[in-house]
Amino acid sequence: MAALVEMKNLKKTYKMGETYVKALDGIDLTIEKDEFVSIIGPSGSGKSTLMNMIGCLDALDEGTYHLEGIDVSELSGNKLAMIRSTKIGFIFQGFNLLSKLTALENVEMPLIYQNYSHKNRKKKAIEALEKVGLGDRLHHKPTELSGGQQQRVAIARALVADPPIILADEPTGNLDSKSGKEIMDMLVDLHKQGNTIILITHDTYIANTARRKIVLKDGKITEDVEVS
Amino acid sequence: MGFILALKMAIASIISNKGRTFLTMLGVIIGVAAVIAATGFAMGSTASITSSIEGLGANTLTVTLYNKGTNRDLSYDEFIEFTEENAEYIEAVSPTVTGNATIKYETESYDNSQIIGTNAAYEIVKDSHVQEGRYILDLDLEFRQKIAVIGTAVVNNLFDSKEEALGAYIKIDGTPFKVVGILDEKEGGQEGSSDDVILIPLTTAQRMFSSAKINNFTILVPDSDLVNETVVILETFLTDFYGTDDSYRVFNQAMVLDTLSEVTNSLALILGGIAVISLLVGGIGIMNIMLVSVTERTREIGIRKAIGAKRSSIMTQFIIEAVVVTGLGGLTGVLIGVLSIQLIISRFVPPIIDTTWVFVSFGFSLVIGLVFGIFPALKAANLNPIEALRSE
Repeated sequence: MAALVEMKNLKKTYKMGETYVKALDGIDLTIEKDEFVSIIGPSGSGKSTLMNMIGCLDALDEGTYHLEGIDVSELSGNKLAMIRSTKIGFIFQGFNLLSKLTALENVEMPLIYQNYSHKNRKKKAIEALEKVGLGDRLHHKPTELSGGQQQRVAIARALVADPPIILADEPTGNLDSKSGKEIMDMLVDLHKQGNTIILITHDTYIANTARRKIVLKDGKITEDVEVS
Repeated sequence: MGFILALKMAIASIISNKGRTFLTMLGVIIGVAAVIAATGFAMGSTASITSSIEGLGANTLTVTLYNKGTNRDLSYDEFIEFTEENAEYIEAVSPTVTGNATIKYETESYDNSQIIGTNAAYEIVKDSHVQEGRYILDLDLEFRQKIAVIGTAVVNNLFDSKEEALGAYIKIDGTPFKVVGILDEKEGGQEGSSDDVILIPLTTAQRMFSSAKINNFTILVPDSDLVNETVVILETFLTDFYGTDDSYRVFNQAMVLDTLSEVTNSLALILGGIAVISLLVGGIGIMNIMLVSVTERTREIGIRKAIGAKRSSIMTQFIIEAVVVTGLGGLTGVLIGVLSIQLIISRFVPPIIDTTWVFVSFGFSLVIGLVFGIFPALKAANLNPIEALRSE
């Protein structure tokens, strides 16, 4: 069984005006199923770029990336879209919910792009929302929900298609400490239920919630340790 | 992503931007409504002109005499002789000498009416009959009778009733004429219309207007198949008589109808051109607002892409949105066009709604949405998800 995420000597360079910035400079990273990994680093360390790579949002320049054994660098845009919808559940710092849609419709969205039938879509979306404790907020718009609730809707959206990886980018960054703790507890629970979680943060305390901590600096992995 | 779902999304997005969508649609609405109303008007007026020309009789020919470039005058008797020789082509002929004069009855005076000197055949040739009294007879011509058959406009202006008019003596330029008949009303008895006419015997008119010259002959051909041959016979005779073909003109209703249909065709072409231009302008408006919409919704597009939307799903969404906008605009335009034909245009000409134009203009509005939706949709579909997510 191939590793969930397997990156070898991955490089990515961005052009910023006249200068080239090596965002990722030779990343070797393997993440197995059922892990709870945090990727931590100061801003500019390349952690967002790494997240975009893992999430198949961006193409690599050099090296290889296999996701569940599939060579992602070879795939076309549409195949990548398919990978994103089936393999990755995104949780963003700014929630990124569509404000005109209800909680239920937001959660249904990944399933729409996987061509689920209307009935199954609704059923799965309701299940996911119940799982994050929002079974009574199905028809609320994001603006009618608190920040913590909005992030829970986003978690439900990430979970709804049962992706092998949940990729969370600063999930507590826009929340007060109480809601942030709720969200972290929820991620810990999800890990216990058998989900693989990759968490990107700059907060050491949050990073230490995970089982494995990867420290990134100047586009290189400087530390990769088990968290006790 | 299913078509129905994309349609629902498009409608939801349109509803959330009602005002803007309506303004965007205006171009298409006006374009489509204009096409339908204008074609309706063109067709209605063509129909009414055609029917009134046909009312003159498709079997009639008009010979107009200019008496130009010649010193010969064609007399009534000479022409009648010619028509009698060609009886198989000419069923009846009615000459006219026209003039204006002041008409008086007791103290009432009136001078609008056209005075037409003609013969008995005028009745069948012009399909103009009397409702009261009698028509001009050939005997009246022979004896230069001072009798008149008058139209209802003349009756209305000089008399209190038809009974009073019939048998009364009116003075035409001081000469008393006995009213022997009243013509059928054709145009509501309006002054200056074809009801404002006084028929007198040809010979009387020739003497009154001190000219023996006949302005024109109207000829009834027994069968519309013979019209073209009759024209040739007439032209041969008249060219022989005058020694030139400048001094007369033979006028054929069929020719008028041909000319009319040419006019109608070019009118339709102009209308089509205007329609295409206005719809193109409308389409540019759609493209503009769709580009704005793509920019505004960059983040939404980023989210959808991150979550697994393919390029084709995003494209479909935006193209369908554009087509729904123009389609709704087209439908509204059709409605307004049809209503304006029924309510406004119908007051002037018979209302004709041509379903071809309805479908063509509606179909064209859909095509416009498709064509002008493609560029914004491509822009949306090609957005980089990372950059799109970063945008505010």
